[in-house]
Amino acid sequence: MLTMNNINKVYQTDMVQTHALRDFNLQVEEGEFIAVTGPSGSGKTTFLNIAGMLETFTNGQYLLDGVDVGSLNDNQRADLRNQKIGFIFQGFNLIPDLNLFENIEVPLRYRGIKATERKRRVMERLEQVGLASRAKHLPQQLSGGQQQRVAIARALAGEPRFLLADEPTGNLDSLMARQVMELLEQINRDGATIVMVTHDPELARRAPRNIQVVDGQLADFTLYQGNPAVAVGA
Amino acid sequence: MFLHYVDLSWRSFKRTPMVSALMVFAIAIGIGVTMTSLSIYHMMTKDPIPNKSERLHHVQLQTMDDGEGYWSKDDVPFQVTYQDAINLQNGNFPYLRSAMYKAGFSVHLNSAQFKPFVQEVRLSSKDIFQMFDLQFIYGGTWTQQQQDDIAPVVVISKSINERLFKGVNSVGQSFYLDDIYVQVVGVIEDWHTPVKYYDPNNGSFNDPENIFMPFTMGAAYEITTAGNTNGWKHEPDNTFKELLASENLWWQFWVQLENAQEKEEFGQYLMSYMQQQQTLGRFNREQLTYNLFNVMELMDYRGVVKHDNQIMVALSFMFLAVCIANILSILLAKFLRRAPEVGVRRALGASKRQVFYQHLVEVTLLGLLGGVLGIILAQLGLWGVRASHGAYDALASMDVTMLFAAPAIAMVACIIAGLYPAWIVCKTAPAIYLKSQ
Ligand SMILES: Nc1ncnc2c1ncn2[C@@H]1O[C@H](COP(=O)(O)OP(=O)(O)OP(=O)(O)O)[C@@H](O)[C@H]1O
Ligand SMILES: [Mg+2]
Repeated sequence: MLTMNNINKVYQTDMVQTHALRDFNLQVEEGEFIAVTGPSGSGKTTFLNIAGMLETFTNGQYLLDGVDVGSLNDNQRADLRNQKIGFIFQGFNLIPDLNLFENIEVPLRYRGIKATERKRRVMERLEQVGLASRAKHLPQQLSGGQQQRVAIARALAGEPRFLLADEPTGNLDSLMARQVMELLEQINRDGATIVMVTHDPELARRAPRNIQVVDGQLADFTLYQGNPAVAVGA
Repeated sequence: MFLHYVDLSWRSFKRTPMVSALMVFAIAIGIGVTMTSLSIYHMMTKDPIPNKSERLHHVQLQTMDDGEGYWSKDDVPFQVTYQDAINLQNGNFPYLRSAMYKAGFSVHLNSAQFKPFVQEVRLSSKDIFQMFDLQFIYGGTWTQQQQDDIAPVVVISKSINERLFKGVNSVGQSFYLDDIYVQVVGVIEDWHTPVKYYDPNNGSFNDPENIFMPFTMGAAYEITTAGNTNGWKHEPDNTFKELLASENLWWQFWVQLENAQEKEEFGQYLMSYMQQQQTLGRFNREQLTYNLFNVMELMDYRGVVKHDNQIMVALSFMFLAVCIANILSILLAKFLRRAPEVGVRRALGASKRQVFYQHLVEVTLLGLLGGVLGIILAQLGLWGVRASHGAYDALASMDVTMLFAAPAIAMVACIIAGLYPAWIVCKTAPAIYLKSQ
């Protein structure tokens, strides 16, 4: 589903060059659930943003479902993103002016879906995350955990085949974190491919495949599950 | 999607009510100032009689001897002499025409109860009403017979009729102009025109007259003009008889010509008239010339719209530009503060174009609000102009064109102000705002 070959990402700010990703290689198959770990500043979010086409890369090749992303223009990228990709951000990033219903509706609007169909899908998602009764509430009226669930519902509203989650549990207590994790696992079982960045080793361990980003490069720990000591040692 | 953007814009206003109100107010002031000056300019320049302006022609004859100069740009005098006015009025051609000038009278009813008032009176031919589209409420114009017989008859306007006769049908009633006892033969609707194009010799923006009498009364009653008299020749003009025989210029002459052919023919008539006058010792010059301008040509020729007015309009647009610059910087700050939200929208599938469009809708809406408020401010401004310059009464008002132009200009102004901020916010890489919370 996703193939990255020798992706490099260099941030140029004033005098400083930051090599956020260097010769980054990764292959993700349809239906996988991958946990990404790594030290702060190692390039995890950068990788996720490039994967989601929110950011361009300096060089290398990125294929998404066989499409060479490097050759697309902004409109085409926006379309592809809207069709295939769901984002759960490191912050919740709900839009403060919009109530829960409207927040979840956003990706559906950009897809040009009719109002009745939008409503059906939004309510379905709200029920899935257990917040149907709160549809008219504004984000600031919710707890952190609830906000994150809305963010997940929004990411799922467009029924994306590819879900990118940047520390979806970072701001939640462990009980909430586990609930969110269970939700993601269920979505994965339903067929979505998930790449999730997390700092929580316990959650990472629950994912079938773990990768670690260190200093912009990939350390693949496919066999992590069977051998936890290696991960800690690295 | 458009309605959704309108909805989002409205929420954005409500989120920052003070800043939004400030921007609306800034654009409203800019529009208010611009519209005030533009409205006056528009009323000055617009065709005062669209149905007839092509056909009504104003006659100027070059009566001055060779070597004499006038302050018009082509040296041709603005007005005509009594002799020429009368000769042309009696000329053998089939067109509607009117020699005319204005005089001043004290209007009274010769009774102690009635307080006299001063009015300007236009002496003209009976054709003036038909030529200038003046509508009769009661009666009609005086007859050719009355005109030839120097009958003391008048046509009065509705407002004079109100004042003298309480608005009833006053045909047949009489009143005094100074010592002349005149009888009403007709009542017309008030003559409204922002520009006094038919006699711009004493202020182009003065109000039209409210009383009309046969021009033949002028010589018979020795009615002096209340307008300008221009002379270039040294000759006796102390008595009224001498004035009538002199080369003094104090009459206007209008003729209605239906088409180019009539204009051509009338031009030939004027040439032969001047040649005939030369045999009588007048028009002592090599080259005979005349001007035969229609209404718009005359307004242009007379410079009814002064250069000052154009400068005013230019200045007010510069003021609007300053307002736009202010709005631009406020919008930039406002939009950039919203960049994280834009990042989220982009991540959820919005293209740059959609983001750009959303922000343009917001600034357009801002412009619409500012424009509507601007109209109100402009009305205040125009009211101020009317209050301080009586002569600008008919000019300092907004017609439909201007009423629609105001929000349109405001929206265009806001779009100009919003283009750069909208572009900045849509081109910013969305990822930057999503890195952390
Ligand atoms: N827009 C940017 N401009 C310049 N440097 C950047 C930019 N975004 C990220 N970086 C740098 O790139 C490197 C990788 O950043 P990234 O956000 O991907 O790290 P991360 O692994 O997600 O960290 P964290 O776990 O703290 O979220 C960091 O050194 C960061 O400072
Ligand atoms: Mg990160």
